[in-house]
Amino acid sequence: MRIELAGVTKVFTDGKKVLDNICYSEDFDALAIIGPSGGGKSTLLRILGGLISPTTGEVSFDGSKVSFDEKHLIHYRRKIGFVFQAKGLFYHLTARQNVILPLVNVHGYTKTGAATTADNLLDRFGLSADRHKFPHELSGGQQQRVAIARAIAVKPKLLLLDEPTSALDPELTGEVLDMLNELRNDGLNIILVTHEMGFAKKACDKLMFIVNGKLAECGESKNLFTRPRTAELAAFLSKVLEWNI
Amino acid sequence: MPFYRLFIKGVNDKTTLLQKSFNIIIAVALFVLFFFLSVRRLDIGFDFSFLWSFRYRLAQGFAATVELSLVSLVVSLLLGFLSAMANNSRVLAISYFARVYVQFFRGTPMIMQVYLFFYIVGTAWGVDNRFLAGVLILSIFEGAYIAEIIRGGIDSIEPTQLEAAKAVGLESRQTLRLIVLPQIVKRTLPALAGQFASIIKDSSLLSLISVIELTQTIREISATNFAIFECYIFLGLLYLALTFPISMYTRYLESRFSYEN
Repeated sequence: MRIELAGVTKVFTDGKKVLDNICYSEDFDALAIIGPSGGGKSTLLRILGGLISPTTGEVSFDGSKVSFDEKHLIHYRRKIGFVFQAKGLFYHLTARQNVILPLVNVHGYTKTGAATTADNLLDRFGLSADRHKFPHELSGGQQQRVAIARAIAVKPKLLLLDEPTSALDPELTGEVLDMLNELRNDGLNIILVTHEMGFAKKACDKLMFIVNGKLAECGESKNLFTRPRTAELAAFLSKVLEWNI
Repeated sequence: MPFYRLFIKGVNDKTTLLQKSFNIIIAVALFVLFFFLSVRRLDIGFDFSFLWSFRYRLAQGFAATVELSLVSLVVSLLLGFLSAMANNSRVLAISYFARVYVQFFRGTPMIMQVYLFFYIVGTAWGVDNRFLAGVLILSIFEGAYIAEIIRGGIDSIEPTQLEAAKAVGLESRQTLRLIVLPQIVKRTLPALAGQFASIIKDSSLLSLISVIELTQTIREISATNFAIFECYIFLGLLYLALTFPISMYTRYLESRFSYEN
């Protein structure tokens, strides 16, 4: 998939400039967005997901421009899966109902068709025993796996994830990353904001490094990790990898 | 099980059914005993038998209280919902109207509202049906409390839930119907059920304007035979018969919907 960002800038209503003229174009299978906290990564991902609009600038996927008015955005969002850092599941619905709801109410599945799709997916990701549990009865890792199942149930062409593992214990992080890697190997295009450098390096082919709202460095992830060109990335990597084994 | 375990539960133990029923009996017995001793000190005897001859009037009064409370529940829910909506209105006069309403009716005693509404507002606008007046007064009073419960429910909807609804592609109307309303209902239901118990109890104040409900019926009966104690003890039991099941149901709802940590 090809992504093109032309001068994407976001200024919040309080005047804070969170994204500053991001220009980027690249073919990718899995794109990792990394960088220090508060640098604008999540804001960029929300723009890519059509959840918020950029103040100025343009976004295109595979040559088609995203139109940021609400009428078009609602259709755009339906073709994309979005997974939040945490608490993205609907509290009042079970795991299974969470997967079923968008299928029935947004994508026009019949109830039985949606139920079959949901059961198959939950089964595939080892969640069938937990399908009738409510989000608060699931572990953080299970919640995120259900959230991913819900996002991909509608067969999106692109899956966006906002720090999907940052609220999880290490062993739960592993189960979510395994699931993502499997989906990526199935050919799903992924863009994720992450602090999991191992995953960014091994499972993602492309990398964007964002600092203070600016695109500080980008390219093939295997190159960037071994030979960072900018001092910022080198410093960032040495900091986050300092305690890695 | 050692004998003392009947009275004292272990630190991390759950209360067993036996412990529960045994100790509830003790607690109720203590309560009744104290009352009984008070009665003995005053040397008064009770005779409840006369109540039987008033059974039809009592049944009518009981039915009237139930009816009054149910109708008021519906009307006060409506008022509370409208007020909670109005509270968030961007038209400031509407928003402040809702706030003044809630503050005034929560901040003043219902007895004052009953008199003022019935004798001034009711008379001025020709509301002379006492049952209707009673429903209106009770609903306006309880609506102020329900408004706060519903407003709390609306405020408790987390932004991530709305963002998630947006992300899966729901339209705003669908988000309201499928996500927001069910969550508000689940979260406010225990408090609303509790409020229903308050409505039942508060409806007794309508006896002040001679709405013929349970309390008024008892007042009338006790005025003819002066058996005030018997009448009011029985009245208490009848109200308990209504509010106790609701209170149990509220507990059950609370345990069922406690899905936030």
